[in-house]
Amino acid sequence: MTTSAIKQEQKASPGVVNFLVGLAIVVVLAFLARWFKDQVYGVKDLFGMGIPGKVLEFPIWAALLGLIFNYVLKALKFYDYPKSGFRTELFLKIGLVMLGATISFKVIMTAAAGAIIQGVIMVAAVYMFSWWLGGKFGLPDTLRAVMSTAVSICGVSAAIAAAGSVLAKKEEITYVTALVIITALPLMVIAPLLAGAMNMPEPVAGAWFGGNVDTTAAVVGAGTIYGETAQQIASIVKQTQNVLIGVVAFLLAFYFTTVVEGKKEKPSAAIIWQRFPKFVLGFLLASLIFTLGWIDKDVAGKAIGGMKDWAFCLAFVCMGLELEVAGIKKMGWSPVIVYLIVTVFNTLLALAVSWLIFGWLFPASL
Amino acid sequence: MNVKINEDWLATIIAFVLMILAMINLISPEWMKF
Repeated sequence: MTTSAIKQEQKASPGVVNFLVGLAIVVVLAFLARWFKDQVYGVKDLFGMGIPGKVLEFPIWAALLGLIFNYVLKALKFYDYPKSGFRTELFLKIGLVMLGATISFKVIMTAAAGAIIQGVIMVAAVYMFSWWLGGKFGLPDTLRAVMSTAVSICGVSAAIAAAGSVLAKKEEITYVTALVIITALPLMVIAPLLAGAMNMPEPVAGAWFGGNVDTTAAVVGAGTIYGETAQQIASIVKQTQNVLIGVVAFLLAFYFTTVVEGKKEKPSAAIIWQRFPKFVLGFLLASLIFTLGWIDKDVAGKAIGGMKDWAFCLAFVCMGLELEVAGIKKMGWSPVIVYLIVTVFNTLLALAVSWLIFGWLFPASL
Repeated sequence: MNVKINEDWLATIIAFVLMILAMINLISPEWMKF
């Protein structure tokens, strides 16, 4: 590589300073979100409309502030400089591993048993429906594959995994990612409100959020808004579903190489491990440590619980900051219509399945 | 040497380092109060 090429690359790739500036923005916004939450948390009647301040939990403030600053930074043409510090997935995964240290292993195993059944039903049914509907609307196979994986498993990371398997275009990933976040943000707020209106028990509500809200960050957000148990069950259900990413990525790669492209060579099953969300192992290990009684609940437990909330708050701020709507306009409206219909189907099916499994078959006793 | 670490492992390592610091009382619950 020539010196000028190296210089050019250094100029193009974000450095440590960019990352630190981005991180500083995220931290300041997280403090602001906590401050807003503290201001309204004790208020019994907001705006004289009978809404208690407790409804406005920190995920709402964090995502809202992220969205506002997303707009402000873009308007000031300063968005690209700090964006390497906007790391939704990293903060979310740190928070999820720490969440493991607050849940007993027995609860995880009980909930995971139900979550595996729910995950298999939901992923298979929603994937098939989305694939079929996308075909009716004439969407390209690659876009159908990415969208169906995103809506049936877990938004962004599933979309990326599927895109790798089917060699989708970069615009298709950007497009589906934007759709996922645009849908998940309102669902994060609406789903807990609907669950409250239906008087759903927390484990059932958590399982519903885990099965129907598309990104893990929004699932955790919805669970946090509804209650502690809902947050735990929602996270377990979503992580169980995320584990299926590798299996779906493998099946997709298999289908596209052998059927669509007609090649003889078969993809390696190693993709299942490559796409396995490794932080889930950290989550399980943290839960084991908690179950063995190595974490003093009154001191270390409280510190870990606080750090977990901070990590989630940083993730929700980043979720608002990372929203990108520009790609949507380029692709037209038919994929949006497909995505919205599938989301409604996903929501209704998840409601029925979570009631059946977590309300009746495996009532998680927390 | 250019070592690339997977984000999943990085998150797990950061979380465990912080949790161990909390377990040996080097991070106070007061500082982390949310």
